Amino acid sequence: MKKILVIGLKDFSLIWRDRAALLLLLAAPFVLTLGLGFVSGRFAAGSGRAGLSDIPVVIVNQDHGQLGQALVNALSSKDLAGLLAPTTAGDPAAARGQVDANQAAAAVIVPAEFSTSTRPQPVPAPGGQTGPAAAIEVYANPAQPLNASVVQAIVQSFASQVETGRVSTQVTVQQLVAHGLVSPQQVAALAPAVAQRATAAEGTPLIRVSVQQSDAAGSGAVPQVDALAIFAPGMALMFLMYTVSYGGRNLLAERYAGTLARLLGTPTSAAQVLGGKLFGIFLTGLAQVSVLVVGTSLLFQLRWGDALAVAALIVAVTAAATGWGLVLAAVARTPAQVGSLGTALMLVFGMLSGAFIPLSTFPGWLQTLARISPNAWGLEAFTTLAQGGALSAIAPGLAVLLAMAAALFAAAVMMFRRSQLLKY
Amino acid sequence: MRQIIAIAWKDTLLRFSSRSELVFFIILPVVFTLILGGGLSKLGQSDNRVPVLVTDDDHSALSAELVQQLAGSATVRVVALDAPRAAAEFARNGTPAWVSVPAGFGAALSAGTPVALGVRSLPNNVNALAAQRAISLAASQVGQALEAASASTAEAERLRPFASAADRQAYFEASLRAAQAAFAAAPSGVQLTHPAASPAPDFNGNAQASAGQLITWVFIPLLGTSSLFAFERSTGTLRRLLTTPVGKATYLLGTIAGQLSLALVQMLLLVVFGSLALGLTWGSSPAGLAAVLVSFGLAAVALGTLLGTLVRTESQANGASMALGMSLALLGGCWYPLELFPSAARAAARVLPTAWAMQGLNNLLLRGAGLAGVLPQAGVLLGFAAVFFAVGVWRFRYE
Amino acid sequence: MSDFILTADDLHKSYGERAAVQGISFGVRRGEVFSLLGPNGAGKTTTISMLSCLIAPTRGDATIAGHSIRREPGAVKRAIGVVPQEIALYQALSARENLLFWGQMYGLGGASLRRRADEVLELVGLRDRANDRLETYSGGMQRRINLAAGLLHRPQLVFMDEPTVGIDPQSRRNILDMVKQLNAQGMTVLYTTHYMEEAQELSSRIGIIDHGKLIALGTLDELNRLVGEEDVVELQVGAESTPPELLRALNGVPGVSQASRENGTLRLLARDGNAALPELITLANSLGTRVTNVSIRVPNLEAVFLSLTGRALRD
Repeated sequence: MKKILVIGLKDFSLIWRDRAALLLLLAAPFVLTLGLGFVSGRFAAGSGRAGLSDIPVVIVNQDHGQLGQALVNALSSKDLAGLLAPTTAGDPAAARGQVDANQAAAAVIVPAEFSTSTRPQPVPAPGGQTGPAAAIEVYANPAQPLNASVVQAIVQSFASQVETGRVSTQVTVQQLVAHGLVSPQQVAALAPAVAQRATAAEGTPLIRVSVQQSDAAGSGAVPQVDALAIFAPGMALMFLMYTVSYGGRNLLAERYAGTLARLLGTPTSAAQVLGGKLFGIFLTGLAQVSVLVVGTSLLFQLRWGDALAVAALIVAVTAAATGWGLVLAAVARTPAQVGSLGTALMLVFGMLSGAFIPLSTFPGWLQTLARISPNAWGLEAFTTLAQGGALSAIAPGLAVLLAMAAALFAAAVMMFRRSQLLKY
Repeated sequence: MRQIIAIAWKDTLLRFSSRSELVFFIILPVVFTLILGGGLSKLGQSDNRVPVLVTDDDHSALSAELVQQLAGSATVRVVALDAPRAAAEFARNGTPAWVSVPAGFGAALSAGTPVALGVRSLPNNVNALAAQRAISLAASQVGQALEAASASTAEAERLRPFASAADRQAYFEASLRAAQAAFAAAPSGVQLTHPAASPAPDFNGNAQASAGQLITWVFIPLLGTSSLFAFERSTGTLRRLLTTPVGKATYLLGTIAGQLSLALVQMLLLVVFGSLALGLTWGSSPAGLAAVLVSFGLAAVALGTLLGTLVRTESQANGASMALGMSLALLGGCWYPLELFPSAARAAARVLPTAWAMQGLNNLLLRGAGLAGVLPQAGVLLGFAAVFFAVGVWRFRYE
Repeated sequence: MSDFILTADDLHKSYGERAAVQGISFGVRRGEVFSLLGPNGAGKTTTISMLSCLIAPTRGDATIAGHSIRREPGAVKRAIGVVPQEIALYQALSARENLLFWGQMYGLGGASLRRRADEVLELVGLRDRANDRLETYSGGMQRRINLAAGLLHRPQLVFMDEPTVGIDPQSRRNILDMVKQLNAQGMTVLYTTHYMEEAQELSSRIGIIDHGKLIALGTLDELNRLVGEEDVVELQVGAESTPPELLRALNGVPGVSQASRENGTLRLLARDGNAALPELITLANSLGTRVTNVSIRVPNLEAVFLSLTGRALRD
């Protein structure tokens, strides 16, 4: 037993001397977490806005009436101050020019007849045309599709409010006439008042969408979610897979270098050697994930959750990953092969874990396939803990990970025996 | 010249002497492009729209209409679940938004009372934003007819109170039908246009994702040129090469040309794959595409050469290529568009060759630019190449 | 001096403070096998590196096949073949692929290169395994290909830097025979080694090098005569210390010189080891030192080296 510890500790201490390994094991996950944090807007002042901010939009208001100005005011309002960075231009060609030059995400052009055209027509015009003739043009910059779509959505919602007011007035008056409550001659006198009341009601839609995000501290059952709580463990787990494959690589490298044979020449059994190597890989993975967890807690103020549960999870997920590392070493023939298989595995598992894109966008069979990786189970458990879950909540996941570790270890031992790797 | 080709060929043989190279050369890039570039839906495998959990506790005609309106959205996909299951699903973090239609929704609306539609969403999530917009849109589409009918009914009531609730209801429904007809007949108040030369805006981001994957998977092996140098140093073959009449310049040219050629082949394969499997057109200018890809390849292999002066062993080089490659790709906007980054990060990205390559490809794909439109990007990339080469060759260690 | 294919003239190489080679001058005649013999770290590889134009001498020059190593390195490289100490080949490629590549580096190509590669493979006896990856070869086989790669362009002069280090006796024998065969066909060989037997077996002339200096140069006979016909006598005396007067006393025995102690061994030179032996043992015993083992070695280069440096050739 002691030999296992000795061998394991020796391997463990070797790895911390390899600067390049440290680069990949620690620095890369940090940088990537940082980058993903940027993307999610986690580091932006005033959270809740997936990184989209200060969208440059150019407004051209050619309208003679109130509505055009209302749109300009809406776009420049305080509510949208962080999201949009609006400017105005005098003429549509100039505005479009700015978009073409990639200086704006979209140009919003309100035509001259907008206000007049949206004036309600209480009496249906001959020919039955009832809609506004002049539409607001949103000239979108294809190079900034996300920004442009936000602008489009905002303008669309404004337009539909206006439309609602118009139709509302129109229908009201029509119905009044139709039901004989008002005579056609009274319409002209009545219409402005009705329109005014309709405009007043525009600000209070009938169906109010109230969005709750989890920044509200501890409001009942709303889950607390920090986007980084998905990215950071996702990156840590991905690079953990690299670490364990690196360990497997060293195992094969020792065989080549002859130190393995030398070990076996001493009164140390093959099982002890394998156990020691395994322990070394396990320790390294454990240390790596722990450093990342502590580091991100300190640097990014990331809350990982209940300390004991997190520790248990780290142990379980590292065990499962170590199992994979051993299987890799058993399957491959040369150290270089372990290296490339390990990298491929790391990338595939990372992709399938749901760290980059949500698992729900995958087809069902792919989601099932993802379950062979410790990454998918681990990420799920980490996010549960980050939301305040207790050890009991992740117990099933822990069980799966430990079972995975045991099964992989058994498989690796069987393969080692057959390959005669440890018989020299 | 013949020796340059001989060196390049030797490097190709070495690289593909291990079968696993194919994994990195073509298989993984294709798989990642497929997944991230929306290829899954193109293959008819899945619906690429953002999933939204919908709980209907009201079960009225109006709530059904709301759900139906939402289901018809181009951006979101309805996942209907009851409250407990939806809560569990949302807590598992797979879905970015969960909308609950409360009981009494339909009744309240029919009476003209405003009602709140509760939406829980993940913060800092692009998909959640898209979901919120889609929900708001559906709500307003359903709501607007109701609002009109409600206002009409209220207005009538002001003039003369209704005799009975049934009368009121009848008036309301008549107004509702008229309103629905009016809305249906109305043309859209907003017209979306875009520059004539460009294709329509790609709100799904598939083209961008494919371009980003191409850059990433070509970038990393080119940085791996550093590993090739380390390998030749450690096995003594570089030393031996220098005892032959082949000069240092020929050696460097041969090695670099070899890696670059392989990268160009790889890029070509990915471009072809993108157009065949994902229907991408990669813009309309082959000359522009070639300019961006070749200049990027040069910048990347030059950076790999520079990296080769900083690392000693092969494993150091491999680790550094992977770490550096992934980081520069992410920060350059290859995995997520730069639009999403804070303005400071966007400005900082200008020092990254990956960002310039992405911008070049974006110009081609999204703005329909031609060769002239990407000359600035190609020029900057060539500039990167010149600087990296200068330093890398100057500091090259032959021992 | 036209029958000298190589003349090295006062070559120096210093790395900062450390002087690796300090003023080496020698010549290699056309058609001979010249050995540079010396212990590890003596400066053999540095000298070869300078002569193959890999590194520039700090001082001095050399002329190879009429070209200066300082001014015409390209021409020198075309005239020489280099077999480095390490196996500088591509393990992932086959033997044939390796040879074709290196041939191309020497400017060969096409069908003639392919034929030449076959010839060379035949010469080193590996033609039937030419298409196997080098990583499947044993150490000895790899050394043979290592040698083959330096011969493709039919150089006039071949540098072989310790070509038999760490291989099995069979392969070593193979290589030594090949060197002799090549030399018989007219190739000039500059051979570095720290194995005395090889230098003795192969060489027309030998240069003994130590600490960056050439301390002796000549044919085998000439070198042996440097120390007279002296035997090397070794007496094992165990780990206990010996009285200091023992060494003086031993040196005082007629015909005996260079008595020294290294670990548990007393080593000295004697004109006639057999004759001196009884007196040496009696002397040791009288001074309280027991002799546990005795060996006498007749004159050879080890003796030469010992007499010149006071140290053994092989550490």
